Amino acid sequence: MFFKKYGDIIVGIVYAAIGGAVIYFAKQLPRSRVMKIGPDFMPMLIGIAILILAVMLLLSALKNFRLNAKKAEYSNPDTADYKRVLASLILVVIYVNILAPVGFIVSTLGYLFLQIIVLAPNDRRGLKNILSYAILDVIFVLIVFYLFRYGFKIVLPAGIFTL
Amino acid sequence: MGPLAQLGAAALKVCEPMSLLLMIAGVTIGIIFGSIPGLSASMAVALMLPLTFSMDSSLGMNVLVAVYIGGISGGLISAILLNMPGTASSIATTFDGYPMAQKGEAMKALGVGIVFSFLGSIFSFIILTFFAPMLAEVALKFSFPDNFGICFFALTMVAVLSSGNMVKGLLAGMLGLIFAMVGLAPIDGIARFTFGWSELRGGFNTLTTLIGIFAVADILVSAETIGKGVKTIPVKKVKGFGFSFGEFFKWIPGAIRAGLIGTGIGILPGIGGSTSGMLSYVTAKNMSKHPETFGQGDPEGIVATECANNATIGGALIPLLVLGIPGDGVTAMMLGGFLIHGLSAGPLLFVKNADVVYGIFAACMICALIMLIVEWTCIKAFVQVLKVPKHILLPLILVLCAVGAYATNNRIFDVQSIVVFGVIGYLYHKFALPTTPFVLCFLIGRMTEEYLRRGLMRFKTFGAFFQRPIFDVFFFIAIAVVLWAMFKEIRASRAHK
Repeated sequence: MFFKKYGDIIVGIVYAAIGGAVIYFAKQLPRSRVMKIGPDFMPMLIGIAILILAVMLLLSALKNFRLNAKKAEYSNPDTADYKRVLASLILVVIYVNILAPVGFIVSTLGYLFLQIIVLAPNDRRGLKNILSYAILDVIFVLIVFYLFRYGFKIVLPAGIFTL
Repeated sequence: MGPLAQLGAAALKVCEPMSLLLMIAGVTIGIIFGSIPGLSASMAVALMLPLTFSMDSSLGMNVLVAVYIGGISGGLISAILLNMPGTASSIATTFDGYPMAQKGEAMKALGVGIVFSFLGSIFSFIILTFFAPMLAEVALKFSFPDNFGICFFALTMVAVLSSGNMVKGLLAGMLGLIFAMVGLAPIDGIARFTFGWSELRGGFNTLTTLIGIFAVADILVSAETIGKGVKTIPVKKVKGFGFSFGEFFKWIPGAIRAGLIGTGIGILPGIGGSTSGMLSYVTAKNMSKHPETFGQGDPEGIVATECANNATIGGALIPLLVLGIPGDGVTAMMLGGFLIHGLSAGPLLFVKNADVVYGIFAACMICALIMLIVEWTCIKAFVQVLKVPKHILLPLILVLCAVGAYATNNRIFDVQSIVVFGVIGYLYHKFALPTTPFVLCFLIGRMTEEYLRRGLMRFKTFGAFFQRPIFDVFFFIAIAVVLWAMFKEIRASRAHK
């Protein structure tokens, strides 16, 4: 509901800010001494285009605000499960940051197992299910590691654990 | 000997058991790399390159061709089943392939994709075999302004793709352009938007962007509803390839158009399969009598994309073989293969090593056939993926993507940046912004700027661009397309009121 009601206004404001920032940073880029069009030309053009489009979107969103608000009221309530979304995002962020220092095997074993449990529906979180996830986790990680290491000759981050 | 006789002699050699076996292996490896998001066709060719070292030159090149063809075609499998393009070439396959799979028509979608991949390849290989030297001359006539014209044309397609809500579509694309600007500027190499981060100087990698937008965002989007229980998608059983002769003949004109677009884009160095698939899709949508069905699971969308991206292979081989100019990452690897085997690609190749050249032509056609057979026999195995519950499948894919992102450049930064693009993809989903313009603009943004600036360096003023007929054609078509799209948009919004 929130996204339907205020979505376009937020998009307009955020993009207007991005456009402004792009213009600001493009201005600081040096101009080319040999050509009319330097490295600052394209960013400047994009920045101005974003600003214009964002203002257009804002104006139309404000004009149709009442109409959209009414539509949003009649639409289905937002039933999205933001707990799972947030947990997944945190897991991915942790995973990509520990991949190098901890190593592929250990970090992936941890990430994969936790991610499957986070995503699993409530009725698939029994002890038996969890055990099967763990077995799948270990087998998959080992297959990927050996396939890359010895099949494709791509060395994945070893981290604290070298093979 | 005429071309046909030489082709025949080469085909006989290619069909020797050892060579056939190696080509089947090559195509299969290519399909595996192509179908897994995160592993790409160019990675497969790079890995196979050292293996061809010990083979004789003709056989070695044929194996590389086999991997290339399998790699480009394999992308359609994950695009249709998982809504994740296995390679950048099959981005547009997701638009109609995935909705079809959701409706239970996964097998039909795969059948259409496979058959038209095959036809697109064969179409371009026929052109390659008989017209390569002639077309290479045309490719040489293309200069920076002309390439800029094509890129500009492709960029304006964003406006068409986002009809219905054009302002939001354009805004969505603009962010992609900004991300394309990050890194060292073309020509003068000034660092832009790097904020002092040395990792950002190289810019964002195409593969990591795709992985983030498709794979990571998909996990976040699925997480919203996944807790409500496991739902499996039904798969309707089909006979043959899943479509009738009537449908097949109805799609043929579209397939020929797609084949021409794909081969044409392939010939021009530096533009590549990802653009050709997308351009062909948009053209098909524009010329269709029922554009509203595109994106809802219309097989014609798959025909347009898959035919074009495979036709790009034959096109891309033309400048490679005739001029020694690689058009994209994969053909650059192939050029490396030529060097390893002591061959120098270029005009002399046709004189000195005609057997290798015609061997490649024959191998192309036979590999396309192998691809058709391998993929067709495996359709039933592919659709099993749909039976794996999403809460298990998505994390597995993400791990493969992370590994693929790492393997491209051996940089952990590439893995980290998939999160940024994942969050962008998720926010786009929440705020109903389309992701396709973002991807399209990201892919073409850097090229557009480079050709513009190189063109200006050579021709001094933008006005001089207009003296080039090829530029004029693309530029004015692009302007006309934008005006037409705007007109339709305004008319639709008036009618709405």
